[in-house]
Amino acid sequence: MNPFANVILCTTSLLAAVVVLPSATLASVDPTTVYARAYALLAAEPYVKQGFQVREDYWAGALASGERKVVRQQLFKGNEYWFWLGTEVDRAKVSVHIYDSHGELAEQPDSWAKDHFAAAHIIPKTTGSYFVIVRVEASPAARTHWALAYGFR
Amino acid sequence: MVLSSKRLNSMVAAVFGVALCAHGAQAPQHLNINQLSTTVEDVVVPLPNELFGALNKLGAVNWKEHVRSDEEANFTERPRIALLLGTVIADGFIAVQAEDAPAVRDIGQRVLVLGKGIGVGNSITPHAKAIIDAADKRNWANVRQELDRTQNSVQQAMNEVHDEKLSQLVSLGGWLRGTEVLTSVVKQHFSEEGAELLHQPDLLTYFQTRLQTMSEFNLPIVHQIQDALVEVKPLINTGNARISAESIKKVNEITTRLGNDIIKKD
Repeated sequence: MNPFANVILCTTSLLAAVVVLPSATLASVDPTTVYARAYALLAAEPYVKQGFQVREDYWAGALASGERKVVRQQLFKGNEYWFWLGTEVDRAKVSVHIYDSHGELAEQPDSWAKDHFAAAHIIPKTTGSYFVIVRVEASPAARTHWALAYGFR
Repeated sequence: MVLSSKRLNSMVAAVFGVALCAHGAQAPQHLNINQLSTTVEDVVVPLPNELFGALNKLGAVNWKEHVRSDEEANFTERPRIALLLGTVIADGFIAVQAEDAPAVRDIGQRVLVLGKGIGVGNSITPHAKAIIDAADKRNWANVRQELDRTQNSVQQAMNEVHDEKLSQLVSLGGWLRGTEVLTSVVKQHFSEEGAELLHQPDLLTYFQTRLQTMSEFNLPIVHQIQDALVEVKPLINTGNARISAESIKKVNEITTRLGNDIIKKD
């Protein structure tokens, strides 16, 4: 993509995502991660049209390049889930992957990562806890803000 | 600032295009989970309707019989109100499953009263109104979203004033009510797949850990829940073994008893 178009797209997309954030959330979340969450919600938007309900609750933080954060999440067999990761840091490379309780990669092959976003798709084979691993693969920033949202249907 | 919906749609389409052309990121097929963090901090407690959605896929459920119309007692203790609020929000999801608009309207009002009771009325008011409006229009997807927003707004407001423990009690109230209904449904028509939905040992550990830090809430109901979770844990933490019909029945008895205790005065 043309770099100029990319900047325009990212800027306006971010503004759009901030606009759609609930006002109560905007008023109360950590301001350092609000933009990262806006990117995560932007990644989620196409899936909402496919019937996924995006949770209001989410995880957020800041990581250095090469660092990872592991969260555990209860998932139910019968549901289908997407986890969407966002960061506002340009040229950062982020990833999200899901492992089951035995440490086996459990996500679907259509999981993806690109630019400010990464997403992992899972149709759990069993009900129980899963490990969701967020990683900043590379980043020009010392600490890269990230936010992880999820949705289900 | 207002962006036209056409422009927003085009931006969303662009992101979706990114998804379609993005590479599947390489990840190891196996990780040694012993090297991962094993704490259960930062837990996002599933919504009752995540559970109910999975339950629905196993077969038709008569949700109407689980809609509760009992009048709750009026409490003044904030921990009790928080527990009850979580329960009532879960009742909202049940009423949505039953597509019972009058019950949802009633729940919207009760949420508002309870929110005011613990000092988060301002955060809840717009959501309670949205719940009632969406129920009138029978827009169930919006009701679900607003119930989630209600719970989130309550918790954000509590966290802001460092009432995280009350926030956790809201989640606990919802989890207990969800578990009560799950076990009630599975008890009636037992299936191994239905019973498997109760396999939530980490969530139970999370709630136990949180309750251990709430010594200032010296209320009978809090102690009853602590004792009950000790009883429930071995019934659902079965490792690779299946959860039995007998365990489902016992968990249902325990959570039904707690549910009654949460809505009634000691």
